Amino acid sequence: MIVRRLVQLPLIVGVIYTLTLVLAWKVPGNPLENPEGRKPAPEVVEAMKAQYNLDNFGKFYWSYLDSATGVKWVRESLSGEADRREREAIEAGLIPPGRFIFDLGPSLQYKDYRVNDIVAAALPVSVTLGAAAMLLAVVIGVTAGVVGAARPNSIADLATLAVALVGISLPSFVIGTVLLLVFGVWAAALPVGGWGGPEQMILPAVTLSLPFAAYIARLTRMGMVEHLSSDFVRTARAKGVHELRVLLRHALKNAFLPVLSYLGPATALAMTGSFVVERVFNVPGLGQHFVNAVQNKDLFLIMGVVLVFATMLILFNLAVDVLYRWVDPRIE
Amino acid sequence: MLRALVPVLLLVVLVGLSVALDRPQPPADFTFGNGNDVTTLDLQKMSWMQDLRVARLLFEGLAANDVFTDGYDPIPAAAERWDISEDGREYVFHLRPTAKWSNGEPLRAGDFVFAWRRAILPDTAADYSGLFMFIEGAQDFADWRADALAEFARSRPANQGTAARAQAARDLWAETERRFDEVVGVRAVDDRTLVVRLDRPVPYFLDLCAFATFYPVYPPLVRQYDRLDTETGRIIAEAGWTQPPRLISNGPFKLTVWRFKRDMRLEANEHWWDADSLGVRSIAIPSIEEPNAQVLAFRTGSVQYLADVTVPYRREMHARKQEFYREHWNDYVRLLAEGHDQFEIDRRLPDDPRAHVHVVPAFGTYFYNFNCRPALPDGRPNPFADARVRRAFAMCIDKRAIAEEVRGLGEPVARTLIPAGSLGGYESPRGLDCLSDASDEAGRQAIAGRARALLTEAGYDDPSRFPTVEVLFNKDAGHDLIAQSVARNWQKYLGVPVRLAQKEIKVFRDDLKNHNFMTSRAGWYGDYGDPTTFLEINRTGDGNNDRAYSSSEFDALLDDAARETDPARRMALLSEAERILVERDLPLVPIFHYCTVTMFNAHELSGPNPHPRTNENIFLYDVLGDGKGSDRVRTMPLHPRGPAASAAGGAAP
Repeated sequence: MIVRRLVQLPLIVGVIYTLTLVLAWKVPGNPLENPEGRKPAPEVVEAMKAQYNLDNFGKFYWSYLDSATGVKWVRESLSGEADRREREAIEAGLIPPGRFIFDLGPSLQYKDYRVNDIVAAALPVSVTLGAAAMLLAVVIGVTAGVVGAARPNSIADLATLAVALVGISLPSFVIGTVLLLVFGVWAAALPVGGWGGPEQMILPAVTLSLPFAAYIARLTRMGMVEHLSSDFVRTARAKGVHELRVLLRHALKNAFLPVLSYLGPATALAMTGSFVVERVFNVPGLGQHFVNAVQNKDLFLIMGVVLVFATMLILFNLAVDVLYRWVDPRIE
Repeated sequence: MLRALVPVLLLVVLVGLSVALDRPQPPADFTFGNGNDVTTLDLQKMSWMQDLRVARLLFEGLAANDVFTDGYDPIPAAAERWDISEDGREYVFHLRPTAKWSNGEPLRAGDFVFAWRRAILPDTAADYSGLFMFIEGAQDFADWRADALAEFARSRPANQGTAARAQAARDLWAETERRFDEVVGVRAVDDRTLVVRLDRPVPYFLDLCAFATFYPVYPPLVRQYDRLDTETGRIIAEAGWTQPPRLISNGPFKLTVWRFKRDMRLEANEHWWDADSLGVRSIAIPSIEEPNAQVLAFRTGSVQYLADVTVPYRREMHARKQEFYREHWNDYVRLLAEGHDQFEIDRRLPDDPRAHVHVVPAFGTYFYNFNCRPALPDGRPNPFADARVRRAFAMCIDKRAIAEEVRGLGEPVARTLIPAGSLGGYESPRGLDCLSDASDEAGRQAIAGRARALLTEAGYDDPSRFPTVEVLFNKDAGHDLIAQSVARNWQKYLGVPVRLAQKEIKVFRDDLKNHNFMTSRAGWYGDYGDPTTFLEINRTGDGNNDRAYSSSEFDALLDDAARETDPARRMALLSEAERILVERDLPLVPIFHYCTVTMFNAHELSGPNPHPRTNENIFLYDVLGDGKGSDRVRTMPLHPRGPAASAAGGAAP
C-alpha cells in the first residue's frame, strides 16, 4: 500500500503542477513590473521575460521541471560545473553560493531570494505553529468532547457545544484581533506579534487552534455518546468498572479514531492555511505566500509553494493512514 | 490507548524541538519599522523607499545628502573631495584613503565603474538605468548592447553547436567590456581617482551620486553570481550575494541577519571610515507589514521609529496631535515663530503620546491623468485630445475638499506638479484656478461658467451630450472616495455624464500602460532634487507618460534646459515648461501634495529630518539618553517667521 501511494505521488504532483501552472500563467499582469510608476523600457521588459522563460509557456514548463525535480542538479554535479564554481569562490576568498537539489527557481517579487530560501525560512515556522495549534486543538477538543459526553445536555455540555459553535463560526481574524487586544494591548501580558520566543507562539497558536478544537470537540462528543450507549460499555459498567475508566479506556479509545483520521488533513491545513493568523500576528510563515505570490504573479513562488504544499498534504495523509492501521489493526 | 497517543506525542516533540532550536536575537540599540519588507538589496536594481532606506545604512556613495540643510546639500562621503570642470561636464572624484569594504579591503575607483556599468547594461534591467544616460556614451553603449543581444538571439547559424554558441556569447561579452571602456565616460584613473564625463552639464549630478543606484558594489562578490547565458548571450545575475554572511558593503553598517519576512539585523561596520560617529551600533528591523500591527508595535515599545504609517485611522491620530498643540498653543506659536523645525518643536513641548505621530510634507503629488490620444482604444474620438476640454475639467475640481475632507492629513492643495518651495532656486508657475479658489458658491459658478465656455469653444454646446466620462482608479487606499468627489464636481459644475471605473490594481496598471482610459488617478514622487524628476515623465514617448501627452514645445523647453549652462536660465526654462503643463495643456491636474506619516518620540530619538525629500539617513539616528553615541540633537536650520504667519500656519514649516 505504502509503495503504491509513493509511486502515485509524483503523478499526482505532476498533474497539480500542470494545472496550477496553466492557471497561474493566465493571471493578468506582468510580474516583472513595479507596482507604482517607474516602468522600464520595453526592450528591458522583453529581456527580463526571456531571462526567466516567461515569454514561452512550453519553455517555462520544462525548464522549471528540470530544476525542480533535481535533474539539473545531477547534471551540473556530474559535469563538474558545480565543483568549478565552488573552487573559484573559495580562491577569491568568498563564500560559495548555495545549491539546491530541488531548485524551485528565483522569486520574481523578492529578487534577492530563491524560492528554496523562502520555503526554508517559512516552512519551519508554519510547521511549528501548525503543530502547536493541533496540539492545543486535540487537548481542548478532546477534553471538551469527553466532558460534554459524560453528562449529555448538562450545562457543561451545552457550554462546550456553544463554545464549539463559536469556535467554528467566528473567523480567525476576529478571534485573533480580540485576543490581541485583550492579552497583547490591554493586559500587555503577551507580545503583539512577531516570531521567536515561545511567548510569541501562544496567541497565534490559540487562534489557529480554535476552529480545529471545536471540530474535534464535536467529533469526540459524537463518538463518545455513541459508544457510551453501546453494549461493551454497558458490560463494562455492569462489571463494576469505575466510571472514569469507562469513559477513557472504553469509550474514548474508540471515539478517538475519527479524530485521528481528521488529524492528518487538519494538520496539513493548519501548517499551510494560516494566512489570516500569520497576517494578524505578523508570523513569517508559508501561508501568506499562497496569497501574496498569486497577487504578485510570482510564478516561481506560486509553483514552489503549491508543489511543497501538495507533497506535504499527500505525505501527511499517507502518514495518518499508516498510523491509523497501526493504532487500530481492525482496519485493512 | 497508548498507541493512539503517539501522533499527539509526535506533535509535542516537533513543537519542543523548534522552540529549543530557535534562539531569539539579543536586543538592538535601535529598532525600527521599515513600512514594508525590503524587496532587494541589489543597489542597481532597487527602487522602493524601504530598500533605499536600508541601502543608505549598508552602503555609501561618492557623495551624501546633508539632510539637515534646506537644500539637501551634497557633502563628501566615500569621496573626500571632487573637482568640477569649467563647463560642468567633467567630475574628478578623489576617494578617501580610509574608505574600505566591510571585509577590510580598500574601496577602489574601479568598484564604481563596475557598479555603474551594471546599471547601464540592459542585461541588469535596472529600474533607474535612465539616471545614467547623460554620462557620455552611456546611451550609445546601452543601445549598442541591446541591439547586439537582439542580433545574437535572432541569428543562430544552422550548424552552430553548443560549444560554439558559448564561445560566441563569451566573444560578445569581451567586446562589450572593451566597448564600455572605450566609449562610456567613466574611468578609474587609479585606485583612488574616478573621472566622470557627462554629455551635458547636469546640475544635480552630485545629488544623484548620493542616490543608491550610484553606490558601489564589491566586484569579486557580484561576479561570482553573474552567469553568461549562452542561449541569449546575456549576463544573468543570480540571487544570493545580498544575503548575510555573503554580503560585503562599504557603508556605516553591515548586514548580519536577514531572515525572510522575519527580521533584519545590522551591526556597525568597524571598517567604515566614520564608524566612531555612530549613535547606535546595532539596528534591528523586524518585518511588520500589516499597518495596524506596526502602530501596535510602536505603542507597546517594541519599535522606536515607524518610517511609514498607513493605517486608516492616521487621520484621527493627526487630529489628536492638533488637539495637543492647542493645549500648548502659546508655547507652540512661540516655537514656530522662533523658526524651529516641527520635530524640534515637539521635543521642546511636554512629552505626550499624542505628539508621537508626525506628518511631514513629501516630495510627491497626487494628480489626475487625461488621455491625450486623438482616439480612444475602442475607436471613438477622444474629447480629451483637446487641451481646452482638459482645462475645463481641471478647473472644475474642488481640490481643497479632497485634501481636507477626504484625506484630512493637512496635505497642501496642489496648483503645480512639483511641490512649490521644495527645490531651491526654482520658481513654480501659478497654476490654473479651480473651484477651491472661490470663496463661495457664486465664485464657484463663475469659474464653472468659464469652464463651460471652454467646452462650447471646443464644440460641446450641450454638456449633457458630452461622451460619458470614465474615471479609472484602483480600489485601494481611498482612491474611490476621491474619484466620487471628482465625479460629483464634474456632474454638478460641467453637467457632463460621468461613470466610475474601479479596477483591481493589476488591471488598472495594464489599462494605464495601454492608454485604455479617459481620465485616471495617478501619483508621482520625485527621485532627485531637480524639477526634471517631475517634468520628464511628460516628455513625448517617456515610459511613464501614461497620458500619451506630446508637445513639441514642451519637449523643446526640456531640451533647451538640458543644454543651458547658466543655472538661473535653466530653472526659468523648466519653470516655463511646467507652466505649459499646469496652465495651458493640462495633460494632468495636480490635486494635492502627498504627506508622509512617521511615528517616534522626539524626546527619545534624534536623527529624523522633516525635509520634504524624505530620505531618512538612519545612521544619523541617536537614541537620546541611552549612554551610547554623542546624544546630540540634530535640527534643521532655524527659520524665524512673524507671529501672523505662524498663527495661521499648520504644523509644517
